[in-house]
Amino acid sequence: MDAQVTEVADFLAAHAPFRELPRPLLSALVSSASIRYARRGTRILSVGESSRVMFVLRSGAVDITDSEGVLVERSDVGTSFGMSTLVERAPSRYDFTAIEDSLLLVVPEPSFRDLCQSDPGFESFYTSAHAARLRRAVGQLHLADRGGAVLRTTLGDLLRRPPVGAAPTTSIREAAQVMAREHVSAILVLEDGHLVGVVTDRDLRSRVLAAGRDPAEPLATVMTPDPETARSDALAFEALMAMVDRNIHHLPVLDVAGQVLGLVSSTDLMRLEHNNPVYLVADIAGAQDVGVLVELASRIPVIVEQLVAEDASARDIGRVVTSLGDAIERRLLTLAETELGPPPVAYCWVVLGSQARHEQGLASDQDNALVLSDEVTSEQDHYFAQLAERVSSGLEACGYPRCPGEVMATNPRWRVSVSTWRSHFAHWLETPEPEAVLNGSIFFDMRPLRGDHRLVEELRAPVLAATGQADLFLAYLARHAVSRRPPLGFFRGLVLEKEGEHRDSLDLKSGGVAAIVELARVHALLHGLPEVGSQARIAAATHAGSLSPGLGAELADALEFVSYLRLRHQGRQVRMGQEPDNFVDPGQLTDFERRHLRDAFRIVRSAQQALGQRLPLDTLS
Amino acid sequence: MRWRRGSADRDRPVTELDLLAVDLETTGLDPSRHEVLSVGMVPVHGLSIALGGARGYAVRPAGPGGVGESAAVHGITDDTAAGARSLSEVLPVVLAALEGRVLLAHHARIETGFLDAACRGHGVALPDLVVVDTVRLQRRVLRRGRSHAQVADQELGLAAARRHLGLPRYRSHDALTDALACAELYLAQVAALAGDGTMTLRQLQ
Repeated sequence: MDAQVTEVADFLAAHAPFRELPRPLLSALVSSASIRYARRGTRILSVGESSRVMFVLRSGAVDITDSEGVLVERSDVGTSFGMSTLVERAPSRYDFTAIEDSLLLVVPEPSFRDLCQSDPGFESFYTSAHAARLRRAVGQLHLADRGGAVLRTTLGDLLRRPPVGAAPTTSIREAAQVMAREHVSAILVLEDGHLVGVVTDRDLRSRVLAAGRDPAEPLATVMTPDPETARSDALAFEALMAMVDRNIHHLPVLDVAGQVLGLVSSTDLMRLEHNNPVYLVADIAGAQDVGVLVELASRIPVIVEQLVAEDASARDIGRVVTSLGDAIERRLLTLAETELGPPPVAYCWVVLGSQARHEQGLASDQDNALVLSDEVTSEQDHYFAQLAERVSSGLEACGYPRCPGEVMATNPRWRVSVSTWRSHFAHWLETPEPEAVLNGSIFFDMRPLRGDHRLVEELRAPVLAATGQADLFLAYLARHAVSRRPPLGFFRGLVLEKEGEHRDSLDLKSGGVAAIVELARVHALLHGLPEVGSQARIAAATHAGSLSPGLGAELADALEFVSYLRLRHQGRQVRMGQEPDNFVDPGQLTDFERRHLRDAFRIVRSAQQALGQRLPLDTLS
Repeated sequence: MRWRRGSADRDRPVTELDLLAVDLETTGLDPSRHEVLSVGMVPVHGLSIALGGARGYAVRPAGPGGVGESAAVHGITDDTAAGARSLSEVLPVVLAALEGRVLLAHHARIETGFLDAACRGHGVALPDLVVVDTVRLQRRVLRRGRSHAQVADQELGLAAARRHLGLPRYRSHDALTDALACAELYLAQVAALAGDGTMTLRQLQ
């Protein structure tokens, strides 16, 4: 028996990436390695020094600090460090200091390179950027397409047959005969393959029979011209939302090039599998009073938990939760209008913040406002005050707490005409004060929910045209985005904030989701981009060159990863009968999750640094 | 033939010292009656343990007594011992490995005693070994900063000594693991005793 030092091999096999190495490779690694001891306070490697080895911490603890002495990471037992000098073939950018008496396993460069060559997993663990690692992690979280089918159902998936169509010159009778033969309740009116209108059973009843029209007349005379359409890649539940909202029952589906693929009806959408958010949306839309809405809203946490269990992505879940919130708010508006009578002037009810971004979670406050037509008089405001109060108290009953900062349409300040809104925005952009900018930033995430959307467009276009030049405003916004420091990582079951600071719970919001959301907002406003959702903003900012493609992709993955963990955490809390929050016990995270969270935090920090270099944050008082 | 005293320069600094940590598992403590069951060796170059040079050998007992009661301590059964090499095969390997190196052991009298007996038994000249004992070093580590110089025996065991210096606990206790444990202990002891300066071989003895 010529035994190997199994203790060392066993130790390595308990930690990534050695865990995945085949035993012969692990043995070869152990044979090439040596062991050193560093007494507390010993500098193991210094900035600017070249090292031909990688270290694995066998026992003790090692602090990694940058050239300015700022703690970057604290190495725990089983972690590797110093490999960047091997990977980058450059002098060390960090100081490595034993902060406890430490045993170090020293892996020489040739052995490191051999392993990288023979084991792709080993190589990518060290050489791929955090981004690539995180991307794989996101993929592993959402293993394949287990479940989540309902959410991912697109309109294209619902199309069962090619479109049934007729030319505009076809007689009404002929078209009706085609509909009867094909058993369809609507027919598409096509000219040279392009959609020009739609005619439904109801149109035949009301526009032909009831109107006494001659069935020999051309179809074009009774069609609904230029109907609402949707792209085949749109999510089914969002399409249903839109149809319910606009009271339409048939929706022509087009491909990316605008070619007609077919038609879906609200019945098709309802036929989606049972126990899914689509049903809930439909029930919400039909609720006759607030009591029914409250009951329906209580099912939302259950749906979130179910979606997490089905491995839906955080982005999809955010959209579903938001859609349900939207549906409740719309219904409350309808109920209020039914009671109060029609509005005296045109209005647009807008949602703000996470709801506007389609990123609502389970712990979201209500954030809304009213944009009123400029014709509004002070007497007419009474109507809107009542409308806002009804919606707000309804939302509160449904589990959406009132906004502590009073960012609600019940606040007269946020219930004003388009012109007044314009001057609000102008004030934030032109004569910014740090506090006002922070409080105002939520209004830059604005989405019309109900009413005359044109009012919001009138407001938004000039605002977006101006944000890119509002240097001081952007600088304040950026400074705040950069000030949300993500934790460094984890150390012995605690969250490592910075030197000397450990916490026993991890705030997934402040240094995670919120930090990325704010970064995305700054980049969007820097370029006057109309996107509101954070992922959409990151994509658009990357396209506009504001974020490098690498960093953009990294940030998108970081947002998805942290958001997913947050939703899962909130889903669990709800199941256990607790109020959902953003604080996770690091002990409940797996080794895998902790490692990738650390990558996500690094990405946030590098995105913050990149932004800090672009905007002159230092010059701010 | 007398053993070459390669590392016997007692002013040599520890950073340049070549050592071989050796641990023997035996059937008992008396070299005249008991037998060697396994040998573990781990080379130390200066202040670095070279894992590639680590070797462990099971040794087949020559006498009729077999492993006996000692199996309870080291877990070596008669079956494993029967498949092992004879001491006459292993001894030259150990002696060759020790050439030019200081013998490092925890409670080295056991190792030197059994090696001595083995050499006599096989008609090999006993090497003139230079020895560093981690028990002695541990006594010094423990005495520092203590007003009373008493050190209890139970503080000097390998596991207790390692625990005192914050070294990880090992699950298995075969000769090879113990040799490695001894080598790591040595590194920690040197670091603890040297302070900022560098020690010489003389200061280790």
